[in-house]
Amino acid sequence: MQAVENAKLRLKDVTKTFIAPRTLKPTVAVSDVTLDIMRGEFVCIVGPSGCGKSTVLNMIAGLEAPSDGTIFMDDRPISGPSAERGVMFQDYALFPWLTVQDNIGFGLRNGTPGHSLSAGEIKDRIEAHIDLVRLRGSEAKYPHQLSGGMRQRVALARLLANGPDVLLMDEPLGALDAQTRLILQSELLRIWGETSPTAQRKTAIFITHDIEEAVFLADRVVVMSRHPGRVRALLDIDLPRPRNEHVRTTQRFGELSEEIWQLIRDEALEAIA
Amino acid sequence: MEKTQTGAKPASRDGDGPANAAPQRPGLPAMLLEIPGVVPALSFAGFVALWWAGAAWNGNSIQLPTPPEVFGALVSLARDGELFTNAGLSLSRLIVSMSIAVLIAVPLGFWMGLSETLRRYVDPTIELLRPISGIAWIPLALFIFGVGGVLPVFIMTYVAFFPLVMNTFAGVRGADPKLVAAARTMGVGRLRITARVVLPSALPTIMVGVRLALAGAWSAIIAAELIGAPTGLGFAIEWYRELLASPKVFAYVGVIAGVGYLADLALQWLQRRLTPWTVGGGLS
Repeated sequence: MQAVENAKLRLKDVTKTFIAPRTLKPTVAVSDVTLDIMRGEFVCIVGPSGCGKSTVLNMIAGLEAPSDGTIFMDDRPISGPSAERGVMFQDYALFPWLTVQDNIGFGLRNGTPGHSLSAGEIKDRIEAHIDLVRLRGSEAKYPHQLSGGMRQRVALARLLANGPDVLLMDEPLGALDAQTRLILQSELLRIWGETSPTAQRKTAIFITHDIEEAVFLADRVVVMSRHPGRVRALLDIDLPRPRNEHVRTTQRFGELSEEIWQLIRDEALEAIA
Repeated sequence: MEKTQTGAKPASRDGDGPANAAPQRPGLPAMLLEIPGVVPALSFAGFVALWWAGAAWNGNSIQLPTPPEVFGALVSLARDGELFTNAGLSLSRLIVSMSIAVLIAVPLGFWMGLSETLRRYVDPTIELLRPISGIAWIPLALFIFGVGGVLPVFIMTYVAFFPLVMNTFAGVRGADPKLVAAARTMGVGRLRITARVVLPSALPTIMVGVRLALAGAWSAIIAAELIGAPTGLGFAIEWYRELLASPKVFAYVGVIAGVGYLADLALQWLQRRLTPWTVGGGLS
């Protein structure tokens, strides 16, 4: 519907088939997903467990290849992982043997993002990101010495320090308590660039099973269904930005959440049966 | 038994639990655990007491000398200096063989962890050799190396090899695929991932392998030196056995225990230095 030249990412008939390890039967995890994601757009993917949302994210990251179909970034097919597409994993995937600052600097020191930077520039960038996620004072600690919320912020800082074009986040707030989640959702929007013009925002894809989280964060919500995993619906979230806590109490917020819940409910009930 | 109903009554009347579920005061043995050093000393004292009682009952100093006799022998061997010569020789053989074993086994185990093909080729031979005790190779080693310093080094290297190769392999295999994936999404190349992600992931398991290897090698040194070396702790034990000088034999046995214990303490220190993230708190 929107002009194709604005699309940052294009998924074209993407299908992923696995061989189930126990039964050795081929299982379709993701079937015929076609989706355009615009530059600077914040897209949330919701769906019942087993709908293949993580698989979609891993394929966009380049960690898995589609069995069929193609994913394009800036009109070039994705063939493998790249620092242009940074990933924040569900359990953060922090390196336990590195301190907070060394975790944040890992990509800069060892990967492509640091290739054009001097040691001093890398140091400055690490420092800036420690401040960005408000971890000053904890930079020399190891991950196991941090709370869940702090680890999550280290993972976010590490993701951003590498300067990716696209942020891929797989249920990053899933393991946190309710209050911390609410705080970090607002913080995430701030860091993503909610207050900046659209052109300066990063493209973000965020997986969650929390419908209200999706409505609060997203420009657009992709609702997926399972068996096989496919796109069931796309919803534009027409809540004004910047969003603050009040948006959660508005009527429109409730309507959108309800609409998504209606789309998911039957399958969600099936999934727990 | 006579106080099941009445005896415990004042302590716990707050709940509806059974009377014998009253909060228990920790007994003296449990309380002593809180004071560092006391319990190991008691454990050792208990052992010495049993030994002394056994020696007194037996009454034959050649079969089983008493603790004071052994302690006296220890002091005289230390004064003489031969204790330190032999312990130093054995320890240097241990260090040489551990170094050789680490240099061979760690790269091999690492490579096996990375390459399933190599593992499939090498693993059957390793599994075939692994159950064979190092001591079983002494006759062959005598033909090849003769009596001397090389034989115990060979035996100890052999013994140390297996825990090192197995643990290194397990550590590499156990490296968290999520962490490797994370590094790939940061544009980190394959070689760097091996050096900066897989190696540190495997290091705690490798260090456990080093400790197991050291314990195994140190156990094997005695047999190896007993038969195959003209010097060292094992040789000294055999020498004094032939002289029927049991207190000195036992003194050397004690030295073996002490040196092994100290070597493991040194490795634990190294472990804390190399893998500080595994200390204090879980690996999460």
